[in-house]
Amino acid sequence: MNILISDSWLREFIETKATPEQIRESLSLCSQSVEKITKVGRDFVYDIEITTNRPDCLSVYGLARELAAILPRVGFQAKLKGVPVATLNKVTRSLPLQVKINNQNLCPRFTSLIFDNVQIKPSPDLVAKRIENSGIRSLNNVIDISNYLMLELGQPMHTFDYDKISGAKMILREAREGEEIETLDGQKRPLPEGTIVIEDGKGRVIDLCGIMGGKNSEVDESTKRVLLFVQTYDPVRIRRTCQALSFRTEAASRFEKGVDPEGVGLAMKRATLLFKEWCGARVASHLTDIYPHPPKEKKISFSQEKLNSMVGVEIKISVVKEILENLGFTTKAKTKNTLKVTVPHWRADDIDIPEDLVEEVARIYGYHNLPNALPPLTSLNQTKNPVFAWEDKIKNALKFWGFTETLTYSLVSQEMLLMADLKTKDHLKIANPLTKTLVYLRTTLIPSLLQILANNATEESIKIFEMANIYPPQGKDQLPDERMKLSIAASGEQFFQLKGIAEALLPELGIADYEFSEANISLPMLDKTKVTQILVNGQSVGVLGGINQEILDRFGIKSLVTVLDLELGPLLKSASGHKKYLPASKYPPIIEDLSFEFPARTLVGPVIQSVKEVSSLIKKVDLIDSYENTRTFRIAYQSLDKNLTDKEIKPLREKIIKRLSARFQAQVKGVL
Amino acid sequence: MIKAQITNLKNEAIGEILEINEEKTLEEIRAKFLGRSGKLNQLTKEIPKLAPEERKNIGNLISETKRTIEDALWQAKDKFRKEKNKEEWLDVTAPGIKPPEGHLHLVTEAIREISAIFEGLGFQRSRYPEVEWDWYAFEGLNMAENHPARDVWETFFIEDFENEKYGKGILTPHTSSGQLREMEKYRPPIRMLNIAKCYRRQSDMSHAPMFYQFEGLVIDKNINISHLKGTIDYFTKQYFGPDRKSRIRPYHFQFTEPSFEVDVTCLICQGKGCRTCKQGWMEIGGSGMVHPLVLKNGGIDPNLYSGFAFGWGVERVLMMKYGIEDIRLLFEGDLRFLKQF
Repeated sequence: MNILISDSWLREFIETKATPEQIRESLSLCSQSVEKITKVGRDFVYDIEITTNRPDCLSVYGLARELAAILPRVGFQAKLKGVPVATLNKVTRSLPLQVKINNQNLCPRFTSLIFDNVQIKPSPDLVAKRIENSGIRSLNNVIDISNYLMLELGQPMHTFDYDKISGAKMILREAREGEEIETLDGQKRPLPEGTIVIEDGKGRVIDLCGIMGGKNSEVDESTKRVLLFVQTYDPVRIRRTCQALSFRTEAASRFEKGVDPEGVGLAMKRATLLFKEWCGARVASHLTDIYPHPPKEKKISFSQEKLNSMVGVEIKISVVKEILENLGFTTKAKTKNTLKVTVPHWRADDIDIPEDLVEEVARIYGYHNLPNALPPLTSLNQTKNPVFAWEDKIKNALKFWGFTETLTYSLVSQEMLLMADLKTKDHLKIANPLTKTLVYLRTTLIPSLLQILANNATEESIKIFEMANIYPPQGKDQLPDERMKLSIAASGEQFFQLKGIAEALLPELGIADYEFSEANISLPMLDKTKVTQILVNGQSVGVLGGINQEILDRFGIKSLVTVLDLELGPLLKSASGHKKYLPASKYPPIIEDLSFEFPARTLVGPVIQSVKEVSSLIKKVDLIDSYENTRTFRIAYQSLDKNLTDKEIKPLREKIIKRLSARFQAQVKGVL
Repeated sequence: MIKAQITNLKNEAIGEILEINEEKTLEEIRAKFLGRSGKLNQLTKEIPKLAPEERKNIGNLISETKRTIEDALWQAKDKFRKEKNKEEWLDVTAPGIKPPEGHLHLVTEAIREISAIFEGLGFQRSRYPEVEWDWYAFEGLNMAENHPARDVWETFFIEDFENEKYGKGILTPHTSSGQLREMEKYRPPIRMLNIAKCYRRQSDMSHAPMFYQFEGLVIDKNINISHLKGTIDYFTKQYFGPDRKSRIRPYHFQFTEPSFEVDVTCLICQGKGCRTCKQGWMEIGGSGMVHPLVLKNGGIDPNLYSGFAFGWGVERVLMMKYGIEDIRLLFEGDLRFLKQF
């Protein structure tokens, strides 16, 4: 959360010669990040990002406290000044207020005070300017006091018109189902169960505690008596209510991060002073202060050895003491190198362990004063996961074969699933989607690629691929079967081009033994007549086929689309960089072409396989020509040991002819 | 008698050579007159029959004739070649025949670059679930439910999906969810590099609901803040250039203590200060010393081991480098965009 504070205000609490620019630089390096300085009139406004662990810095005084520790380390004297307050004297006749807190956990500390004789008027100019520099509208002196002190001390407070509280009675409790409140901004808000609220003597809800007051009890121009509320609330409850209502105020942002209950007293006394000075008001009641369980002081051991081992340099114990004390810690030497450190109350929530103290010392010492060193390499237990190198190799191959890599969202729309004939129930669904297009975790990459083909209709021939995880569910309490897919898509009739990609890619992965199954398998999205499965060791590693026409129509794609969809898991399990060495034959091969006529629709794959199996002397069988039902094969015969003669080849040739005739009813048509 | 035969042969050959108009006929003429069974060789066979005093003269004459015919053949060949060169013409400025042109995604290129840098320091790449349990993404990283620090990670939840032990199912909003998984898998020393898709409920020019982060995690004995600084500075100089500087500033994450924000000198103004940076520095990521509770949750004794972690978005630096204004362009699949890289 960012806060805006004026330089002049900061200097009310810290006396230093450092310029705003020097303050920005040192605060950013050692504490909270100053994102910007803006000149406003004669003043400067700092825009500071405060981290969630440091709600104590969400105030002018809190930042002054930080600077008091930081500036002396960078060569500037800096003195932290006190906060001007009024003393709270007993009043002779106190106006009544009956307070009941139903559950003490809701409100660790409750204080209130009533002022009489309040004159409502505009705030002094300086005050109005400072508040507005911080981005809050100046309204009147009473409301401004609560905002001014929230900014100055980090303690949000609320003012009621005392006369609007029925029966001078308040019950702080959890909201019940169905209750609502009209807040100061005029909005009617339903109250989530468990919200902290206050009801008055008539049972009206008059405050949405810690977030915004009720309209029915607000201070207005005719207010004479003001009830001032300075409290702390259970941060978790405030946060839940804000989330449920999608409504957050400056006060709520502070309460949900935790406000220091020990700071309440100071804030009350400071407010009393301002009520007197700015409103001419008079204290008209005793202080109500319900604070049954004040936190105990926290003590933490500090060891110089731990500090040095964590920062990598030696920082003297005297420096450590100085830094911690300037930050408000108290230290007591235990041994020469260890301290007993007491945590100041405003840091009680964020300082717990010795590492927290190391941070305090190291940041004020200055991270920029620590050396840059590389961590020593002692030994490495991890073995390199080869998957990453294979993935890179595949991507490179595809790039050089003319494919463009795409990267699409893992989440898809319901519409896309339906277009692709997929069922929503087979997908994990986002409970709080951001848009309708990103709702289901995909179980295939193909629809995403089809969408790209549809969107880029003006491109001529498209060749794309994506390598990404899919997320098929495995039950309601088990993570999905998250696994890597490689999907390749090409526009047009590209069956044999993509088959060629598979046939080139697999050997690149060291997979020599693979086969393509015969057609007629039913697979989602694919045309039944143009599809094959790729098998490695009998296991399917992917499919190749044409997208069926109905789906193309739904996506509005005019051309045909061919896809090669591979499972990287099993594929890379079989991948190997190992290559087998075979000596090259010294004797030239004898090459001849054989033509056969086959019955219609004879699959050529098994024919080639049959020829190869005839003899180990047949080194290569290529399909070189196809005309109608005639196929011409070029066959290379070669021996490692000698020159082959026609006498040796003749029986092989006869065996081929006989086998193809027997198995495939092939008629030999020619030998060349 | 034989002399005249030789002279006639010479004239006949030269006559034929002068008359031909096709280069390939030259070889025929060569064979006819100079070949193994050519006309000149026939005459050579007559030499032994001559008187001894004549043999030498005739021998010389035959050799001379052979040279003359060869010269004539060469000249004719040369003439043809010159004519041919005059006809042939190659436009060397015409475009070459290119191999097919493909493109890798910018994010792939960036991941490779980042991996290579950290692999040089002994980091190993890991990969952990994108659909993850609350424990690994939040609770185990010292961020209980309802912790305000969680606001930063605008998280996608998965409907009707919860594990008794590990809590609700989410899309991991940061690569830090890999920290505990890495510790469960390996004992120190650990040098992990986890580059992965992350998801957050936000979408604008500089935020996409899906994006990539990379996370480094080092756990060993005596690991300190200086080691973190040195590692980040090494990366900065390797990735952004040797003139870049890096620094760390205090920040807060629940899973590191202390925590830091990492700045590098601005790529645009070289650290002088400009509109896009903060006084010459750009925030690029978060880092810190692994919180002892996180080590404990990962089964590592924080009294023996310490570590640091850092992580930031891959796209952000890419966008700076290429001047891409809208991060969502990276995921839209517009080929006119993808084919530029």
